[in-house]
Amino acid sequence: MSTVDVQNIALSIGGVPILERVNLSVTSGEFCAIVGASGCGKSTFLRMLLSQQRPSSGAILIDGETVAPEPTPDRGIVFQKYSVFPHLTVAGNLVLPADFASGSPLARLFGARRRNARAAAMAMLEKIGLGPHADKYPAQLSGGQQQRLAIAQALSMKPKILLLDEPFGALDPGIRADMHELLSGLWKETRMTVFMVTHDIGEAFKLGTRVLVFDKIRPDGGKAGPAGATITYDLKLDREQRRARALAGAALVAAAPARTANDA
Amino acid sequence: MAKLSSWTRRMVIGAAGAALALGVAAGGTLPAAAQSKTDFKVCWSIYVGWMPWGYIADSGLMKKWADKYGITVDIVQINDYVESINQYTAGTYDGCSMTNMDALSIPAGGGVDTTALIVGDFSNGNDAVILKDKTALADIAGQSVNLVELSVSHYLLARALDSVGLAEKDITVVNTSDADMIAAYSTSDVSAVVTWNPLVSAILEQPGATKVFDSSAIPGEIIDAMMVNTETLAANPDFGKALAGAWYEAMTIMSADDEAGRAARTAMATASGTDLAGFDAQLASTKMYYDPAEAVAFVGGEDIVKSMDYVRNFLFDHGILGEGAPSADFVGIAFPGEKILGDANNVKLRFDPAFMAEAAAGTL
Amino acid sequence: MRIINQFPTRRSRLILGVVPFAAIAVIYALASRIRLEANPADRLLPAFSSMFDTFVRLATEPDRRSGDIVLWTDTLASLSRLGLGLGIAAAIALVLGIMIGFVPKFRATLAPLVGAMSLIPPLAILPILFIVFGLDELSKVALIVIGITPVMTRDLASRVADIPEEQIVKAQTLGASSWAMTLRVVLPQTLPRLVASLRLALGPAWLFLIAAEAIAATDGLGYRIFLVRRYLAMDVILPYVAWITLLAWLSDLALREFAARAFPWSKSGGGL
Repeated sequence: MSTVDVQNIALSIGGVPILERVNLSVTSGEFCAIVGASGCGKSTFLRMLLSQQRPSSGAILIDGETVAPEPTPDRGIVFQKYSVFPHLTVAGNLVLPADFASGSPLARLFGARRRNARAAAMAMLEKIGLGPHADKYPAQLSGGQQQRLAIAQALSMKPKILLLDEPFGALDPGIRADMHELLSGLWKETRMTVFMVTHDIGEAFKLGTRVLVFDKIRPDGGKAGPAGATITYDLKLDREQRRARALAGAALVAAAPARTANDA
Repeated sequence: MAKLSSWTRRMVIGAAGAALALGVAAGGTLPAAAQSKTDFKVCWSIYVGWMPWGYIADSGLMKKWADKYGITVDIVQINDYVESINQYTAGTYDGCSMTNMDALSIPAGGGVDTTALIVGDFSNGNDAVILKDKTALADIAGQSVNLVELSVSHYLLARALDSVGLAEKDITVVNTSDADMIAAYSTSDVSAVVTWNPLVSAILEQPGATKVFDSSAIPGEIIDAMMVNTETLAANPDFGKALAGAWYEAMTIMSADDEAGRAARTAMATASGTDLAGFDAQLASTKMYYDPAEAVAFVGGEDIVKSMDYVRNFLFDHGILGEGAPSADFVGIAFPGEKILGDANNVKLRFDPAFMAEAAAGTL
Repeated sequence: MRIINQFPTRRSRLILGVVPFAAIAVIYALASRIRLEANPADRLLPAFSSMFDTFVRLATEPDRRSGDIVLWTDTLASLSRLGLGLGIAAAIALVLGIMIGFVPKFRATLAPLVGAMSLIPPLAILPILFIVFGLDELSKVALIVIGITPVMTRDLASRVADIPEEQIVKAQTLGASSWAMTLRVVLPQTLPRLVASLRLALGPAWLFLIAAEAIAATDGLGYRIFLVRRYLAMDVILPYVAWITLLAWLSDLALREFAARAFPWSKSGGGL
């Protein structure tokens, strides 16, 4: 639905470069999976897309406009944990965005509007299979159920782009496959632009239409001090490739020497 | 207990043994046992009439007189007056300076037979009722009165109310710590206080303060004395002699209008946080018995019996004359010449002029 | 076996728990008996029976002087001061704690002040409190409030700051204003900690209450204790101390039960 342009952003903290020369142009409806070694700045990149972190230089544009300097509803987020509100029931978590939007001084809907919001929430819960759990608290749910709820909550604002920070990292493999199905389904339905950070290469190739690999390299061979990370691989996948590479992806990326990345 | 672990069993047995031992030990700090001994401890707290005790300790007078009788007497200053009486009552000290009223309510009411060994003075204006922005005692009706409840201030207030035909129900008593009395007076909530010197002088310096009644209107009723444990005194007359000897030598020194007298009074003034002029002003509202013969006469007179009658009735009316005291007669008070007020079988407070008489006769 | 791996059985645990209490009771009873044998009118360590009689008298018979049944007058007076003090302290601590913990500009302004305030011993500035708040009920409540609010504020501010950043970011992506986040995300998650903080503040609050009542009062549990101390009436003081302990324990229990019911989602609500 929305294009994202990342224009030569860099970030250094306390003089230490974290990211540099990151350029990216994403067309509407792409599913970008971001992979890389831990500490390579992939989560930091996601935080910058969210405006949770401001780049030292460069710009991020959504639909041609610079992003707001703080998190806004045009970008939804699902974190690995702490993504839902522990003090609200499952249904309460889904009604909360409507409460926020109500403009009421108590930040809460009342009466018929509350009943409507609750009905919409219940419909969504039925869809993601949490209908019977509507009145439970998140702590009473399994990890997979909590992440379903978190995704549903993020989508309820109909964001232009959806950001996922290792959303399934803490889940069992079986549950993870279910979650992949849910996420693909929702993505196909909404066609929104997605960025997902993951450390699971297979997951990246299975879900992504494009795989971005972050790594630290230096054009001069690393002689001039520490380097920030940048995008070293930018693989655009078509449907067949995705199917094939979902199986072989891990081996492919692991075997690719970082030094040849410039040629890519 | 056979099924319990050895740890549990040991704990139970150990705790029982320790409890027995500790219980006996704790019960052991009894009021000084009635047997002869050579080491004694008395305590006192800051008040104009008791400042000589500090002087007696510091100047070596106590050592001089104790040596004469082959004993030692430790004089300890305690910052909290009530605590000093409680310590005496619990048996930690053999003697303590206190008023006639507190001697009756705390040690005597608590079953500790107590003798007024040295009647040093009575308050003759040192305790006062002070009103803010009012000038007549009768104006006190309907007011809240801040004072240390159940103290001599309370007694003075009761006597003051009596004198104008009022009763305690016509006012509200607010228990206020003496340490905070001056600060309390300076708040707008407080319009009437009853307290003692040096607080009286400090409060009277504040604007709008008028003294409407003081203890000079009830002379001889608020008596300050060195009270000692009767049994200890009976078993150790030398203890009484040493105290009386040291006290009256100090009286002679401080009452003289010479270099030594001024030096002694200056030392006492400094110890009580004032200067010689301030201390002399406090002495002026205190009837000091510098001459032991006068004290003997006072203790043997009729007025003191009347005063103690007022005091015991006040204490009884306020429910503090001993647990379950059926009447003001519950605790007996003995005076010279076999005069007894109250229960002759339960005499716990005695006014005994014997040691003061010896001092007067110069036979110590 | 190592001592840390030895676990008492259920019955042993009960016995071991009771032993210290029983030992104290035995120590007291013995010491009291020894003193009473020497002096039947001794007031320092009254027998259990006379303490019980006194307590019953205080709880059932009107006072000779005022006509009130003193135990209940005192309890009512003290509990209302305590409740008011805790309530005001909780309200202030909640507002300040959220401001300091949630809003960086308020934190920069207020955190040093609250930090410094929490180090002032309130009893040391009593005369100032008298002059500002007078000697009435207000000053007693104020002493409790001043005594416990700074510590509660710091506790709550750190709890607010501990709310995972993910939740705050998430709320922003759901369109929440700062006020809406305060009301719907921060406040509800701070309330269980507020209750826990109140439970911890109960002890100091009682201390300040009794200190305040000792200074100037016409009723209250602390007032009575300091009053009868003038004639060493331990038969009144000891039952009053036991009564205060019971009241403190009951209020702690009530707060714990309240937290468990009101915040079923919170671990710290039901625990401790």
